Amino acid sequence: MDTRSYMPVPPGVGTEENVFSLDDILLSQERLPCRTESVFPGLGFVDKSSDSRHIPEGTKMEIPLWLAKGLYERKRRVISVELPRVYREGWRTVFGADANVVDLHTMGPYYYGLGSQMLHFDSPENSEIAQCVLQTFIGRFRRTMDSSQNAYNEDTSVLVEKLDCLERALFRAGQSGLNAFQLWEKGLASHLTASSLVTNYRKRKLADLQA
Amino acid sequence: MDPSEVEFLAEKETVKVIPNFSLDKIYLIGGDLGPFNPGLPVDVPVWLALNLKQRQKCRIVPPEWMDADKLEEIREQERKEDAFSPVPSCHYMELTKLLLNHAADDIPRADEIRTLVKDIWDTRIAKLRLSADRFVGQQEAHARLDNLTLMEINTTRDFLLDSLNSMHKLRANLQPGKSQDY
Repeated sequence: MDTRSYMPVPPGVGTEENVFSLDDILLSQERLPCRTESVFPGLGFVDKSSDSRHIPEGTKMEIPLWLAKGLYERKRRVISVELPRVYREGWRTVFGADANVVDLHTMGPYYYGLGSQMLHFDSPENSEIAQCVLQTFIGRFRRTMDSSQNAYNEDTSVLVEKLDCLERALFRAGQSGLNAFQLWEKGLASHLTASSLVTNYRKRKLADLQA
Repeated sequence: MDPSEVEFLAEKETVKVIPNFSLDKIYLIGGDLGPFNPGLPVDVPVWLALNLKQRQKCRIVPPEWMDADKLEEIREQERKEDAFSPVPSCHYMELTKLLLNHAADDIPRADEIRTLVKDIWDTRIAKLRLSADRFVGQQEAHARLDNLTLMEINTTRDFLLDSLNSMHKLRANLQPGKSQDY
């Protein structure tokens, strides 16, 4: 049984983000390829590659998700957001063929979260993206489940290597269930153990304190 | 839920013991037990049976289903059918472990029983995983969990609930504009 000193807030996964979720905070830093649709006066210093004082219309740049969400408006075109590579037609075909072979950790690592967030920007392909993300999850579910519930007492780093952050959290949940059961079956669950805080505690020496 | 909590619940099941002491009826909140007479079988909860056994005050009569031949039949049945077949006791795993660990000398062919129950458990867990996969693959909204025991549900609960939650949210993306309340 693993007990934690605090309860982490789970990621929102859907179109809503959880303010207190660390995963969602990291997700909001993901860079999106964008194109400016109007002049950004006086902000030329942001774009290091140009010398002009302003950011002209039609500049291509990468901006983080949180900024893109703030700037994007349907009526007033300030920026237009392009789809990252993994959500485009070509990759969608790959996911459709066999989602299991894709290394979602290097592609993502927030494939599902970012995919849901992309739906904020009105793209004609939105419904295909949502469908593809869902199908990918379903396609990879079996492998995540089997590997998390069968790997007992072995190195799991190879198994989780290709998993997205969301799948890793699921993997951990499966492992904790398996470990708790195995511990019970071996009869170790009934043993009381000293808290790690107590075993690591050593008396401080006076010399250390004065140094 | 921790497996030891499930085990705690299983200790409420009754089992027959043959005491070697005599005692009047005892009145407990959970019900009256006894009277105890040497040589006369009496029904007591598992926790009391194990306690008496540890103090060598009784002999435990194994439950009817805890018999190598019957378990073998159940194992064959379990392997043949696709659905979960009924189990002899809704705490079979916990009871087997408790009784075999503490009273193996009262149960004939204890080692065989241990292996058989483990086989049954493994078959059922494999089925559970298969049906979970099918459940997710077909995007079903509900499923019947007939004949599943608490311990079996407990090993996969966290994983399955978290996955279904994520899947629900990803599926809600398909219909933009609709609220995500559930």
